Amino acid sequence: MAPTKQAPMRQAITLKGSTNLVTEFFKYAVNTILFQRGVYPEDDFHMVKKYGQTVLVTQDLALENYLDKILRQVNKWLLAGGVTQLVVAIISKDTRTPLERWVFDVNLVEQPSAESSEQAAAKPEAEIQAEIRSILKQIVSTVTFLPIIDEPTVFNILAYTSESADVPADEWVDTDPLAIEASKSQQVKLRSFSTDVHRIEAMVAYRYEG
Amino acid sequence: MSASNFSTPARPATSARGTTTKRDSLAAELERDPQSSSAKRQQRSQAFTSTLAHASLERQLVAARTAKMELESKLRERDATIERLEGDRRWLAEREKEEREEKEQEREERDHEKRTVDHELRALRNALTALREEHADLQDAHGSLSRTSTQTITTQKAQLSTAMRQVTLLEDELREVKSVADARSRMVEELQNQLDTASTMQVNFGRQNLDDDSWAVLRQELQRQADYMRKLEGANARMSVELTGLRERHASLEVLREEKRDLERKLEGGNKLREEVLRLEAEVQAARQEREEWYKAARLDSPSETPITVTQNLSSLRLTHASLLEEYGASVALLRRREAELADTQVRATELGNIVEQLQQSARSAQDKIAKLEHAGSLADREIGFLQALNASYASEAATHGSSDLEDAKERHIRDLEVLLDEYKTQTRVLEGEVEDLEKQLIVSQDASGDLHEEKVAIAETKSAHAECDAAVEQHLERIETLEQTLFELRGEIGAGRHLPPGVRVLSLRDNPAQQWEDLSKAAMDRLKVENDALLKRLQALEADGARTAQKDEPSEDLVPRNLWEIVVEQKKELEDMVKQKEKRLLRLQQVFTAKSAEFREAIAAIMGVKLAFYPNGQVRVTSQYDLNASFVFQPTSKAEGARMQLIAQGEGGPQDLPQLMRNWIEEEQCVPCFLASITLECYDKWRRDRELGLDE
Repeated sequence: MAPTKQAPMRQAITLKGSTNLVTEFFKYAVNTILFQRGVYPEDDFHMVKKYGQTVLVTQDLALENYLDKILRQVNKWLLAGGVTQLVVAIISKDTRTPLERWVFDVNLVEQPSAESSEQAAAKPEAEIQAEIRSILKQIVSTVTFLPIIDEPTVFNILAYTSESADVPADEWVDTDPLAIEASKSQQVKLRSFSTDVHRIEAMVAYRYEG
Repeated sequence: MSASNFSTPARPATSARGTTTKRDSLAAELERDPQSSSAKRQQRSQAFTSTLAHASLERQLVAARTAKMELESKLRERDATIERLEGDRRWLAEREKEEREEKEQEREERDHEKRTVDHELRALRNALTALREEHADLQDAHGSLSRTSTQTITTQKAQLSTAMRQVTLLEDELREVKSVADARSRMVEELQNQLDTASTMQVNFGRQNLDDDSWAVLRQELQRQADYMRKLEGANARMSVELTGLRERHASLEVLREEKRDLERKLEGGNKLREEVLRLEAEVQAARQEREEWYKAARLDSPSETPITVTQNLSSLRLTHASLLEEYGASVALLRRREAELADTQVRATELGNIVEQLQQSARSAQDKIAKLEHAGSLADREIGFLQALNASYASEAATHGSSDLEDAKERHIRDLEVLLDEYKTQTRVLEGEVEDLEKQLIVSQDASGDLHEEKVAIAETKSAHAECDAAVEQHLERIETLEQTLFELRGEIGAGRHLPPGVRVLSLRDNPAQQWEDLSKAAMDRLKVENDALLKRLQALEADGARTAQKDEPSEDLVPRNLWEIVVEQKKELEDMVKQKEKRLLRLQQVFTAKSAEFREAIAAIMGVKLAFYPNGQVRVTSQYDLNASFVFQPTSKAEGARMQLIAQGEGGPQDLPQLMRNWIEEEQCVPCFLASITLECYDKWRRDRELGLDE
């Protein structure tokens, strides 16, 4: 009797809560990538306290609007489970070749069966935040090994969705996956984080002509 | 009765009274004139009516006063009542106020009570949750305790059952041994009978003077008994040796049986594991084949056109990888358990070795005992020889002495012999007991040795199975590593965007930064392309009739293609428009500036009494408003010093004491404003004088 009563006292994260957490993470991850990889000038960014550390967030209104629009849609897709991957592609302005692809795999965590559900304790939010923090730190640290970009670049965000996913046709269009050639591609797996519902695995694939 | 009715007739009344005092003169006058007498009469009547009226009025006044008094008294009563009522009201208000205060107090008390009750309630709720948690914890503890207790109970039951079995075995053995003991006792009885017969024979001997033949028979009989005794001792020694061995085996038997059971169970687990390993190997083989197929397929196709089977293979590969990981974890866990069990069995083996050593020690002690018993037997033999010699001496004594002494001696001797026989009997019984024990141990140890061997074989089998499992696990680990590597590479394929999983769409926002940039550059490119096309066309045309054109020497603007020309013209027009706009703006600004500067100058002239003219080279000409000839030109000394002005020229006119002013203000004081102010004052004086003179003239 007592354990069953105790179970609801533990605040298990809901799908909505998890989705909001993941969406927010994307926002800060994309901002960090854009700042660290110099896609936008450094003056465009200002410091914000988030996840117990300083994160740089853009002040460019157009870019903010663009990110907001994307994240709103991504939030919907996450709630419906329609998105499998998000990719931030950094493209050379002159040659239009994709230079880097920052891949965020979105996996749904398998819900434990009814009998073991009582044993599975909800993951504390502090732990999730620590994981997110370490991913963002790793993104910052990738500057040490990624090739230096000394040409003007532009970026695009790709969403890998299932065919059954609901897509607003007037805003979103099918596009080229902006692949990096196999012979010049390197990849590094980054850390991952997971809520009780989602598991986000990060990876960066980059063009390397060595 | 209105006020006018009171007032108006009063006046004539007073006048009438006045007339009565002056009656004589008036009457004289009236008597003189008949008209006046009538008037007098009339006057009298009027006075009468007025007195009447006055009286009535006075009555009325009195009545009114009484009424007033009454009314005043009534008013006073009213006031009293009002005052009383007011007092009552005040009292009631106070009562009300008191009540309200009481109510406030009560409400506050209620609130306070409610708050305290809430606090208590919250505390009690907290206590309740804490108690519930405690209860849950206690339930958990109780569950674990009950589990452990049931386990111990089962183990104890198992021990009990084994003990019971041992007890039954021992009882059976005891029964057998009792039967053997009975047989022995029967033998002893026979021996006693024989002894009795021998004693009777001895008695006969005594009666028949104990001839040598019977002695010889007795000796032989004794000898036979001694032989039998020796044989028994030998058998006893052998049996004690066997007994020690059997004891050792018996001790280890139960332990070994338990071990055997454990090992059998482990063996079953190992077989399962082996089957799993086989299955996993098959799966891994299949996965590898699939992967190879997939690789082939992937090499052939472009990433976006990857066949569905390949991606399905990939997904199945992932699944198998996950399952293999799981199985690997399970097998590792099993391995750990086996290792733990192995360690346990080794510990048991060392324990068994200890037990064997103990048993060997006990065997040694038993051998010592047997040696002692043999020594005692030899002693007994010697005693028998001594007794025989004694017997012979007695016989010889009997032959030499009388028969009665001989008989006494014989009887004593026989008694001694009987005592000896009793001793032997007790010794035999002890030995029989030992023999029985040894037999029991022998039986048990025979069983144990068989079990031990089986156990050893089983242990060896399990060890070999364990080694096989280890090898399989290592292989699996290697496979898992390779599979992880391939998985990483495949993820890289997907991550780099070369492979698109089936049923997945790649979407991007229509209005993304890359697209914007592309559109921008595309527009520029399109323009350039159009220009380029036109140029190429023009070039072709020129090449086609190159010679003709060269000869004709056409004007150079014909060489420019029309498109390009149009673009340039458009650009020029745009630029001209821009220039026009800019000029317009500049003009407006200039107008504004001139208007403002004029305003400024006017203001200066009005306030300071000087007119300022600014030259383009920075010089300023200052002319007094009152004397247009008094003009001075100032120049800024340097840009670094800012607004410091220097007098560089002066006009023709000016006041008469101008040189003095200049010396005083500019050379000594170096104060241009003061200089100008004094100039202005001088000029104003002069101008006024001139004007006055002009006016005079």
